[in-house]
Amino acid sequence: MDFTVRAATKEDCKDIWRMITELAVYEKMADQVKISPEDLERDGFGQNPLFECLVVEVPEEQKSTDGFIVVGYALYFYTYSTWTGVCVHLEDLYVMPHFRGNGIGKSLLSKVAQIAKQKQCARLQLCALEWNTPSRDFYAYKGAQDLTATEGWHMLRFDGHTLDSLAQEDAKGS
Amino acid sequence: MDFKLRKAEPADVSDILRLVKELAKHEEMEDQVLLTEKDLLEDGFGETPFYRCVLAEVQTETSSDAETSSGSKVVGFAMYYFTYDPWVGKQLYLEDFFIMEAYRGQCVHHSSSSSSLSLIMTRIISVCVSGLGIGSELLRHLSDLAVTCRCTGMMFVVAENNEPSIRFYKRRGAEDLSKDEGWRVFRFDRDSLLRMATPTEE
Repeated sequence: MDFTVRAATKEDCKDIWRMITELAVYEKMADQVKISPEDLERDGFGQNPLFECLVVEVPEEQKSTDGFIVVGYALYFYTYSTWTGVCVHLEDLYVMPHFRGNGIGKSLLSKVAQIAKQKQCARLQLCALEWNTPSRDFYAYKGAQDLTATEGWHMLRFDGHTLDSLAQEDAKGS
Repeated sequence: MDFKLRKAEPADVSDILRLVKELAKHEEMEDQVLLTEKDLLEDGFGETPFYRCVLAEVQTETSSDAETSSGSKVVGFAMYYFTYDPWVGKQLYLEDFFIMEAYRGQCVHHSSSSSSLSLIMTRIISVCVSGLGIGSELLRHLSDLAVTCRCTGMMFVVAENNEPSIRFYKRRGAEDLSKDEGWRVFRFDRDSLLRMATPTEE
């Protein structure tokens, strides 16, 4: 199968949004997507982008049954380790089901790794769900270490009302 | 003893590195800190800052001979940056959060004489000076910042055996996404990264 991996432009936001929603469905969390294509454009293609994105395109003759030629994406951003400096965090990596098994995922991951190498990053980090064995196996095969298993790392978050409460907390009275 | 929080400036990089190393030492990983002051300066205060930092400072008094001079000492820091959750948008990611042991919520030890009365007095004094509230105030400051900067969440990673930290965060409403939703953290180190970055012949 022919495909190209390229940097996303703001014109790709509708396709990226579509695939973000598809990935959320796969992760059984479709109701958690609150973002819109306009949010993506503002946040990723404005003056201070919060993320970078790669998209995968196939030729017109290989488009999906619904007529899409953008069939995969990788969304990532830069983080910082106080031990090693700048790192890359791969937030999303997704290939539409029909187009899997053709090396697209591998190619996307390799491209992100090249970008990390260019920026002299010492690490590439990501998260995957416990039950998502295909993804976990794929990353393990490529050399990733599961820090939740080996070092007991847990992801924590404050959001919504817990974040608001914390922001308004009176330090002396708590 | 009072403290104040302030934004880190370029001149603070030596204090930041000192505290980074102290935190690493606490985790028995001091030799893994490869960053230098120069890296911290370029990465945090250059054209594209990769991190931001808030410092906690206390006023100090030192006396020598007949003179007393006052200054300040950086005793804690929080390092953070902005990340992106494609479902809900901008997040504040808390990378490091550390207060020097002597300034945390525990007994500050004073030298004591051997008499039982002064021992009792020392314990009472120790309890009274513990818990300056620096950690709580830092966390409140960061969450306020997160809300002001249009973040929908504040995220971080904690090791499951770090019970004091987990209790500290959960008491304040943090959700454990690893436990509740099954998220696991993965990392590729430099060697794996370089292997993946080199295109293989198909």
